[in-house]
Amino acid sequence: MIELKNVERSYKTGHTETWVLRRIGLTIREGEFVTVMGPSGAGKSSLLNVLALLDDSWLGEYWFGETPVHSLNRKQRADLARQRIGMVFQSYHLLDDLTVAENIDLPLSYKNLPAKTRQGMVADILDRFQIVAKKDLFPNQLSGGQQQLVGIARAVVHAPALLLADEPTGNLHSTQAREIMELFRELNRQGTTIVQVTHSDENSRYGKRILELHDGWLTRDEAVDAPVATEAK
Amino acid sequence: MFSMLQDLRYALRQLRKSPGFTVTVVLTLALGIGANAAIFTMFDQVLLRMLPVEKPKELVRPHWHGSFSGSMSAFGGDEGDYYSYPMYKDLRDKNQVFSGMLAADRTGVGVTWHNQAESKDAEMVSGNYFQVLGLRPVVGRLLTPQDDTQKNANSVVVLSYDYWKTRFGGAHDVVGQNLLINGHPFQILGVAPQNFSSAIGGYRPGVFIPISMVEIAMPWMAPRNNLENHQSLWLTVVARLKPGVSAKQAEASLGPLWHSLRAQELTLYKTVTPRFRERFLDKTYINVLDDSTGFSPGRVDLKTPLIILFSMAGLLVAMCAINVATLLLLRASARAREMSMRYALGARRSRIVAQLMLEGALLGLAGAAAGLALAPVVANALVRLMTNADPGSEPYSASIDMRVLGFTLLLSVVVSLLFSLAPVFHFLRPDLAQTLRQNAGTASKTSQRFRKLAVGVQIALSVMLLGGAGLFVRTLDNLRDQPVGFDTKNLVTFSLDPTASGYSEERTPQVVKSALDALARVPGVAIAAATTDPMLSGDSEFSGFIVQGHKPTEEESMSFEDANVTPGYFAALKQPLLVGREFTPADAKSAPLVAVVNLTFAKRFYGSAQNAIGRQIGEHDDSAKTDITIVGVAGDTKHEDLRTEIHATVFRPFAQLLHPVGVQVYLRTAQAPETAERSIRQAMHQLDPTLVVDGLRTMEEQVTRSASDARALATLAIGFSILAMLLAAVGLYGVLAYSTEQRTREIGVRLALGAQRSSVVGLVLREMLIIACVAVLVAVPSTIALARLFRSQLFGVTTYDPITLAAAIGLTAVMVMLAAALPARRAAAVEPMRALRTE
Repeated sequence: MIELKNVERSYKTGHTETWVLRRIGLTIREGEFVTVMGPSGAGKSSLLNVLALLDDSWLGEYWFGETPVHSLNRKQRADLARQRIGMVFQSYHLLDDLTVAENIDLPLSYKNLPAKTRQGMVADILDRFQIVAKKDLFPNQLSGGQQQLVGIARAVVHAPALLLADEPTGNLHSTQAREIMELFRELNRQGTTIVQVTHSDENSRYGKRILELHDGWLTRDEAVDAPVATEAK
Repeated sequence: MFSMLQDLRYALRQLRKSPGFTVTVVLTLALGIGANAAIFTMFDQVLLRMLPVEKPKELVRPHWHGSFSGSMSAFGGDEGDYYSYPMYKDLRDKNQVFSGMLAADRTGVGVTWHNQAESKDAEMVSGNYFQVLGLRPVVGRLLTPQDDTQKNANSVVVLSYDYWKTRFGGAHDVVGQNLLINGHPFQILGVAPQNFSSAIGGYRPGVFIPISMVEIAMPWMAPRNNLENHQSLWLTVVARLKPGVSAKQAEASLGPLWHSLRAQELTLYKTVTPRFRERFLDKTYINVLDDSTGFSPGRVDLKTPLIILFSMAGLLVAMCAINVATLLLLRASARAREMSMRYALGARRSRIVAQLMLEGALLGLAGAAAGLALAPVVANALVRLMTNADPGSEPYSASIDMRVLGFTLLLSVVVSLLFSLAPVFHFLRPDLAQTLRQNAGTASKTSQRFRKLAVGVQIALSVMLLGGAGLFVRTLDNLRDQPVGFDTKNLVTFSLDPTASGYSEERTPQVVKSALDALARVPGVAIAAATTDPMLSGDSEFSGFIVQGHKPTEEESMSFEDANVTPGYFAALKQPLLVGREFTPADAKSAPLVAVVNLTFAKRFYGSAQNAIGRQIGEHDDSAKTDITIVGVAGDTKHEDLRTEIHATVFRPFAQLLHPVGVQVYLRTAQAPETAERSIRQAMHQLDPTLVVDGLRTMEEQVTRSASDARALATLAIGFSILAMLLAAVGLYGVLAYSTEQRTREIGVRLALGAQRSSVVGLVLREMLIIACVAVLVAVPSTIALARLFRSQLFGVTTYDPITLAAAIGLTAVMVMLAAALPARRAAAVEPMRALRTE
């Protein structure tokens, strides 16, 4: 589904060039649940931004399915991201002035879908995430875990093929974190390809494959040896 | 006290720390406060300031109501503002409520000192003038009732302080010396006090002359026999209430006296209809009005424009305060942690409020100081614009005095208080935990709402000021572009009064004729002519006429504009002669009396111009003769000023004038009129060096002067609107830039979730568009409603003029778009990756 060939990314500060991604070669197949790990400054978030098509200034080749992302212009990349990718953030990044339902509707509103269709999709996801009762609340009326739940609902409402999550449980306590990770696993089971960035070993064991970065180099790429067992519902 | 000093030190340090912010705020306040100080400088002098005399609050002015038939002062106001000399004397001598009553009139005289002649404003005053006002001389003595006795028997004069200083070098030995008034020797008695100019508001005469000398000072009034005539109203009367008597009591006491005096006057009328009697006597009454500021018809003309300008300046300073409040709120967000920390460390709310108020007061005072530096320049321009005064002879001062200083201080305190309230409310109930937890302070919802409201108010005020300015500009255009009925190009004019140089009434026509002949020979001058009734000068000469075959109704006014013109007058002005002929030298004093009437006159009495020729009219006097033959009909012209409607007019030959007076000369030139000015002065000087060429200017300049009130309003309103637009644009930009910055994360999220950059631009603009639309919806009806209040100042344009309103909205829209462009561009350039990198 995703293939990176020799992807590199650097930042220029004055005369110095700092490399944050070095010759990354990577293939992610459809339906995988990949965890990216590494110390701070290793390039995890940079890799995620490249994958999310939020960053344009990288070198190398990036294939998204059959699409050569590296040859797309900015607008085409934005279109591709809008159709195929969902993002979950550590700080949830819900818009304070919008209700839960409106926050979830936001990515749909950028796809020029008819209002009725959008309403139906939002209602479905609210139901699926069991947050119907909270649809009219504002983010500041929710707990951190609930906010992240809404963040994930917003990310998957348009059924993206790829779900990217940057430290999705970083601001949550362990119980909430576990619930969120279970949700990711469930989504993955339903066919969503997931790439998450995390510092947590426990979270990494919800995935099937771990990538490790050091100073921008991909230093480890292996399957998870001891996956977390599914919680009994 | 110590904490106050500490706060002051800290406040100064705060302001020094952000010089950009401080300078912006101070300049913004300087604009608003400076404009207000400048307008107040004039507003105060014209409308508020009391006369610099003893106990000015005791001064009152009797104002009468009722019918009247006769002549009235041409200085404006209505007839109830003026009194005949006999009536003044009766009221003065027979009342029980006044400790004194003075009379005065404005005029112009020729003053010759050491063989140098010049025209000078003079005030004809009753002998008790200075006593009633309670004034003391600077040098010599002032007039007393003994200096105002028999007609032509009191050749004495008092100099105003300014005139004494400028013309006589402040020399003490001028007292007792003689100067010439209209060629007659007058002895200088003394000098009036320094700060006193006149009992007539806004008037600055050079000399005070006893009323008994009226026939020398105002020779053209001689035929009216003004010292005896009950039907010539020419004096302004001011009285001082006896101690303990109120204006109401004085009014009650004067009523019966007034009625008996009127009954006496009625006996002087030869024919009295019951209707006239009813209105003259039964329905007449007298009011006693406050006169602590001095009566001035000019004040009436300036009142509305000044109120409009003051209101505009008020709106401007409100915008400045809102802008500063917005800026302070933006800064407050940046200081949220500082204030929260102060609270957390135990600061009382009152201490925080005091700190913020102190900072506001410092800004306000700095703004006031800068505004005061700006004010005299603006005030001077304002005085010149509004009074048409030449440099050096402005009737009002532009300098800052204690009253203006006090007003400015008060204004700056009020403004500071207002704009300081915004940050005070912002910090009154801080969410300590939230603020201290965050890396950077964020704006509260309330302050965001305030900023939006502030921007909305500023946009609305901009539309209103632009709308007002637009209406005044249209008025000015309409006034200037309307046909005046004669050709104003290549026309020079000046006033010439041989009587002011000592020529007798008999010699005046000959001097005028010689002057016109000499002027006609000046190279570049095609025709030279003169009239007794100048065009577009703000004044009109009216006389009563009878028209043969026309029986006027009781209500009908038979007073018409009355101009005595020399041969060639219509040709010089290029005023079309529709039928008949111009006056010629043959229309001499001894020749049959003839007249040319204007089209309005001809149509009113004869139906057409053609029918008027050969008809007879006569002057309204006891003889009731209709011995004047109409020999021509001229086209209508604007006469008094550009606004006043065209009146029926009778032109008569200057040579047939019973008592010749000074004239207004008109010269039609072949080339640019300015080039002939020097030759004109030379020609007059060669004829007689004592003849004064007064107020020499082109007719185009005269037209501009005639539209001076409209021009002043339009110019100042445009100035205010530009400032308002700038303020609104800066405010708008500040709010948008800040809110865009605050929304960077939101914009990043939206972009990350698939929003297109154009929709982000839309997001920023939409917010502004909604505010702007609401503001315009409020502003347009408000503009129309406000414009109705100053309808009297408009000409040829409705208060809801769609072109003006559309232009105001259009300009505001451009301003909004320009102010929003940069923040919108910045919003579109947000990189989601960076915006979201908060983890």
